[in-house]
Amino acid sequence: MRIEAGARTDLGRVRKNNEDCYEVQPTLNLYVLSDGMGGEAHGEVASALAVQTIMTHIQQAENSHSTPTFGEPQPDVSERTNRLASAIHLANRKVFEMASANAGHKGMGATIVAAWIEGQKLSLAHVGDSRAYLLRAGSLDQLTADHSLVAEKVRIGILTPQEADASELQSVLTRAVGTKEDVDVDADEQMLLVGDSLLLCSDGLSRMVTDPEIASTLLTSTSAQNAADRLVDLANENGGVDNISVIVLRILPNSESVLDRLKIWKRNSG
Amino acid sequence: MSRLLLKFEGAVLKEIPLGTRPVTIGRAPDNDIPIDNLAVSNYHARVYVEAGSLVVEDLNSLNGSFLNDIRVERAMLKDGDAILIGKHHILVDQAHDAALPVDGWRKAPAPRVNETMVLDTRERREMFEQAVAAGERSQLSPERLLVPTLIVLRGRTDEKEYRLSGKLTVIGRSDMATVRLRGWFTPNLAAQINKHEDGYYLGRGDLVPKVNGVEIGALTKLKDGDVIEVGRVRLNFLYRE
Repeated sequence: MRIEAGARTDLGRVRKNNEDCYEVQPTLNLYVLSDGMGGEAHGEVASALAVQTIMTHIQQAENSHSTPTFGEPQPDVSERTNRLASAIHLANRKVFEMASANAGHKGMGATIVAAWIEGQKLSLAHVGDSRAYLLRAGSLDQLTADHSLVAEKVRIGILTPQEADASELQSVLTRAVGTKEDVDVDADEQMLLVGDSLLLCSDGLSRMVTDPEIASTLLTSTSAQNAADRLVDLANENGGVDNISVIVLRILPNSESVLDRLKIWKRNSG
Repeated sequence: MSRLLLKFEGAVLKEIPLGTRPVTIGRAPDNDIPIDNLAVSNYHARVYVEAGSLVVEDLNSLNGSFLNDIRVERAMLKDGDAILIGKHHILVDQAHDAALPVDGWRKAPAPRVNETMVLDTRERREMFEQAVAAGERSQLSPERLLVPTLIVLRGRTDEKEYRLSGKLTVIGRSDMATVRLRGWFTPNLAAQINKHEDGYYLGRGDLVPKVNGVEIGALTKLKDGDVIEVGRVRLNFLYRE
């Protein structure tokens, strides 16, 4: 299998500056997206620093196995997935240090959603309300659980998903990178299949575009970039109240593999 | 119009308009203000209008209802009063129509619309986690640690029994599979099991597995005792002590 990536970030129609940031690194198969916060135009400083720190840490770890790890490793995921979480712990530390050292940067922070793929195996880690979705055999699943006040209330059962969607408190996060000395990172893994589409996005997309719209856009796009462009356009058509960022990954067969094509055909016709 | 505001750690969770009917508060879901917290009794308290006055009445709750920090069985309410039930506050709001009160966590000056902010989270999260854990404990039997296990009922595998310890369990011929299947035409990735917050979910790989004889569509949550078929292999999913 091979991976086709497309990505786009957009100001949206209301905000004056874009605090989102993303990076696509096909040689490492590393894809990171971040939504910065903290007013006074420092949100973009936080998101850029977080993304850059993650890319650098993973690159170093690939070059040298003695690269130190940050944060407590989680026993139920692989070493590689823990490495991705370690990168987010380090990003948290860097953003926090910058915010502490600089009165003007106080209160800045960022969300992170990061995907790192080796072979068929996806390592996924996130903090905040930026999301990962997986489209497989026509059905869309959200792989990440938002670290927001309303989402946590829905999970406990004191708020319905409908109430959450209507809530004024949707922007209140319960975790972010850089606002505390330490942060809990959610890490997960998943085997990818040929025919899958993976979407990483900021809340500027997920709040503006419904899951069925996301699914049908991913299904009907001609390429990963086409899907990314159309998703951003949809979010803007629906209001574009926040910055919008998306990374779309399509898992494709090696062009010469008849077997892979047969598998997709079987899966989609089954 | 008068209303009650349900608040938790300064954040308004819910607004409840006050009409002629009493408003009930408690842990049971059929209350007008359900609060899912073990410190709250099933039918904890109610608020109603009596002879033109608003009254709060504790319904013999275990942990009590507090009006402005004083435990009360029955008390008249006025605008601005705060009733404490468990960890939640219920604010009486008779004066203001639209404007929400300024919340503690909202920093002055008022933020831009929709601007993201982070709550001071550690205590909040611990509280949330305790609430969730308490909820789960009350549903499962206590004191028993249950380990999800796959037992091979039929077919060629490298082990007879697998304890699921990771978030991802791969079933297939691949070297990295937890449940390694043998056989010529077995795919490297036949199926996978993902651990979510609320349990274990079976998903397809290059084969579409069956659960209790039925092919799965999207991700399927596994229940204790489910029989999984992946190709020619049959597995029993059990929560074991």
